[in-house]
Amino acid sequence: MPINTDSSCGQASIAKWELSNAGTAKVTITGKVDVYSLGDVWSRIREQQDAWLKTSGQHQLTFDASAVSSFDGAGIAFLIDIEKVQQAAGGTFTLIGLDPRYEPLLKEFDPISNLFPVPAAKPQRSFVVSTGIAAQNLLDDIHGLVSFTGHLAADLFWSLRHPNQVRWGDFVNAAVQAGIAALPIVGLVAFLIGVILSFQAAIGMQQFGAVSFVGPLAALGIVREMGPLITAILLAGRSSAAFAAEIGTMTVNSEVDALVTGGLSPIRFLVVPRVLAGILVAPILTLYADVISVIASMFTMLIYGIPFINFYNGMLSAVDVEDIGSGLIKATLFGIVISAMGCLRGMQTGTGAAAVGISATRAVVSSIVMIVLVDGIFAFISYKTGF
Amino acid sequence: MTALNSSTFAVDVQNLTVGYGSNVLMQDLNFTVNIGEIFVILGGSGCGKSSLLKNLFGLYQPLAGNVLIEGQNITTAQGAERQKIMTSFGVMYQQGALFGSMNLLENVTLFMEEYTDLSQDQMNLLARCKLDLVGLLPYETYMPSEISGGMQKRAAIARAMALDPKILFLDEPSAGLDPITSADLDSTIQDLSKNLGITFIIVSHELASIYAIADKVIMLDKGAKGIIAEGDPKVLRDTSQDPRVHQFFNRIMSKDAA
Repeated sequence: MPINTDSSCGQASIAKWELSNAGTAKVTITGKVDVYSLGDVWSRIREQQDAWLKTSGQHQLTFDASAVSSFDGAGIAFLIDIEKVQQAAGGTFTLIGLDPRYEPLLKEFDPISNLFPVPAAKPQRSFVVSTGIAAQNLLDDIHGLVSFTGHLAADLFWSLRHPNQVRWGDFVNAAVQAGIAALPIVGLVAFLIGVILSFQAAIGMQQFGAVSFVGPLAALGIVREMGPLITAILLAGRSSAAFAAEIGTMTVNSEVDALVTGGLSPIRFLVVPRVLAGILVAPILTLYADVISVIASMFTMLIYGIPFINFYNGMLSAVDVEDIGSGLIKATLFGIVISAMGCLRGMQTGTGAAAVGISATRAVVSSIVMIVLVDGIFAFISYKTGF
Repeated sequence: MTALNSSTFAVDVQNLTVGYGSNVLMQDLNFTVNIGEIFVILGGSGCGKSSLLKNLFGLYQPLAGNVLIEGQNITTAQGAERQKIMTSFGVMYQQGALFGSMNLLENVTLFMEEYTDLSQDQMNLLARCKLDLVGLLPYETYMPSEISGGMQKRAAIARAMALDPKILFLDEPSAGLDPITSADLDSTIQDLSKNLGITFIIVSHELASIYAIADKVIMLDKGAKGIIAEGDPKVLRDTSQDPRVHQFFNRIMSKDAA
């Protein structure tokens, strides 16, 4: 039965399966044999071969390639497949009429059994082993974090004593990228948070006829908590990921290795300028977010009939300089944590393009976890000391 | 169906100007590559060899001129026609450009999955043949990041051959390979060219490899913004009067040449 498929190049390859007697079969293939025309032919010849090999007795197969007009790598793979199946079943395989120019290529694959590797069984990990590995990974991560913190602290002090050796160009770039470029998004989010916070508070306070207290409440909440927190989360999303991707790409390209072998500390070279930028930028952005948020709150309260002057006076009675200072100190710590986590994850990047993406993701997640952790510690200290 | 392969040239370059915006690297290039030929593009670092290659296979649009691949104009082709031309050749990039999230076998089978109706087993066998040709059969399950740079290059050649294209563009295939692997690769290229009639267009600096395999070379020069020599590399080495060509083929240092 001739098997015919459409070829993209006009001449279809045709394969014919003939059974002269129960033990002797012949495959004749004609035309142009290429990877596009072979799919169907290959599968159907193999089906017939498999069915034939299941019958008992001798299996002598002749493969006639004398009418092939052109052959490519796929054609050779087809030949090899048929031969391999014959061998596996204990039959014989005879190739006739192959154009001699294809023979060197066929020889390249000798012995063909190499092309059919026995799939190795995947090592199974027991629950205990995988738990152990996970625990080890966690310990390694903590160890990396502690050692990184130590190095970073040492290099930051070193920079204080040698300010001329800090890479101020990198610092300015990082500060512009993390700071000035973030003004629009921080402003927008701060404004919306100010509006939402005031509306939500007003809905509740209205029930007790205490709408006039919304102003002081919102302002205090913004200055102490919301301003630093939303700024930090935006910075984590923007800058921490950017630092991780930047340093991660450098790690993948061996640029970090080049610094180390050049006797330079990658922490001093790459991390210190970025952490300094974080220290500068985070409190400034927070202050900016505070102002925008409070203004948004003032406008919102106008809807509830609270004039600006009342809002202002209420705010002055509730918010001290200490509150603003507490928020800004927290923001500074957030800034350090965000840039440091971004840089750490960047330096921990593995190999390959996907590793950079993983590092950026880890940087954002770890930054946010650390922000919440620092915030929690800060809240506890505030509660204990009243600051 | 259009009269395919009516052209006698694998690649026909007509008045090609290569560059980026106002920065012209090569002006008014004209050359042809015969079917089944091993054609090598030479030239000093930074003269625009890789850029020319990217113009030839249609990744970049040339500033002017046309490139015909098997008689079809890739410069003006659009949509399905362009895609069809694109599948008629394979490309190996300088850095390998393997897909990092796939192992070597999957890297090679990816294009087969898209363009053929072979079964998974058939594709795997075919991909193993390709990997065997470049000596990477034992590494089929390795990820690109787990093998060396030279191995990545060879795997990239295997991937370029996945669909058995009639034309292969190789950007510095033997740079960074050890001499034995490099010689093996040369012999594979010659076998494929001689036996399957595959045309190779190769950017290379490796003189030993060029003498061994090239049927024809063109030499580009940054200052001349064009081809300064064309022909058999051994003939050029022995007879060229051009000092730049003489210098290149005889490895003379730049300060000694003048």
